[in-house]
Amino acid sequence: MARYTIEELLQLKPSETLTANFPAEEFRAIIEKVSQVQALREEEFAAHHVGHFNRRRSSHHHGKPKIKHTKPKVTTDSDGWCTFEGKKKGSGDEEEEEIFKETVSTPIAQETLKIKPNNKNISSSRPADTTDLVTDKPTLSFNAFAALESDEGEEE
Amino acid sequence: MSVEEVTQKFEETVSVDDEGPKTVLSGTNFDVKHPLNTKWTLWYTKPAVDPSESWSDLLRPVTSFQSVEEFWAIMQNIPEPHDLPMKSDYHAFRNDIRPEWEDEANAKGGKWSYQVRFKKNDIDELWLRTLLAVIGETIDEEDAQINGVVLNVRKSGYKFALWTKSEDKEPLVNIGARFKQVLKLTDADHIEFFPHSAANEKHHSPSITL
Repeated sequence: MARYTIEELLQLKPSETLTANFPAEEFRAIIEKVSQVQALREEEFAAHHVGHFNRRRSSHHHGKPKIKHTKPKVTTDSDGWCTFEGKKKGSGDEEEEEIFKETVSTPIAQETLKIKPNNKNISSSRPADTTDLVTDKPTLSFNAFAALESDEGEEE
Repeated sequence: MSVEEVTQKFEETVSVDDEGPKTVLSGTNFDVKHPLNTKWTLWYTKPAVDPSESWSDLLRPVTSFQSVEEFWAIMQNIPEPHDLPMKSDYHAFRNDIRPEWEDEANAKGGKWSYQVRFKKNDIDELWLRTLLAVIGETIDEEDAQINGVVLNVRKSGYKFALWTKSEDKEPLVNIGARFKQVLKLTDADHIEFFPHSAANEKHHSPSITL
């Protein structure tokens, strides 16, 4: 049986490059092509899966999201009075702000409001509102005598 | 036939100048070669690029060699392990044994396995040492227990496997001990033997650990 130790075989390694007994260039080309395809796929994968930044936030894997609430702006004058400055309407659109001011400054016309009785409250044991009682007053009351008189008049 | 015997035979047949050292490679006549014990076939598993490619399409024999000189000529012309793409395999198997469990010669055997977890710089050297130990028949002094040797290139690292024709514990333990030396492993490192008969089981455990 032919036996060679690792050292013996290394001693037999030629210093010059020998020609292989198979189409080595073709073999290396296949491997090169596979490496290129794999590198291209890795690039594509990386482009579509950039860490976790492109992922939507899961609703059940984390705690409540941190929401930053803006503090209301309160100014204190020299007398110690605090004034709350509400959020301004609009985002710098002056025309819109003027229209808003106009509608606010227009006095509201005095109108007589007809209030319908709330049947629910009347029928219940709950005392109705006094204002409701006034409005609930029937406008036409039945007059039995007047009715009789009118009937007689018709017969005549 | 040892390397000295072959070299002596060569010197007897070829006239060499007295000036330089007399070696096989100093002359231009390469007809005389150092024969190996058996013929070996180098196989390559190409990683699947297209889903339609099957295992039989991917596993192909590259070439065969029967001498030391032929072996070196091949090694000089093929990419080294660190140049191989992911999911590639190199296989060197004796004669015409296919690097598959189904092959008659492998069916009753198994494999000594070791995984290099991290990509070491000396991975090319370890693979070369394994090949030399196998083709030089020094890893298996008793009998021709070795059918072949495999290198898997994976994301997790490089897997070395020594395929044997039987599961006999006694010769396998000797082979395993030498395999550890070849891979330059310490006592803290462990190699495992997996019989091919248990390869289809879900969580097959090694039958021998060294």
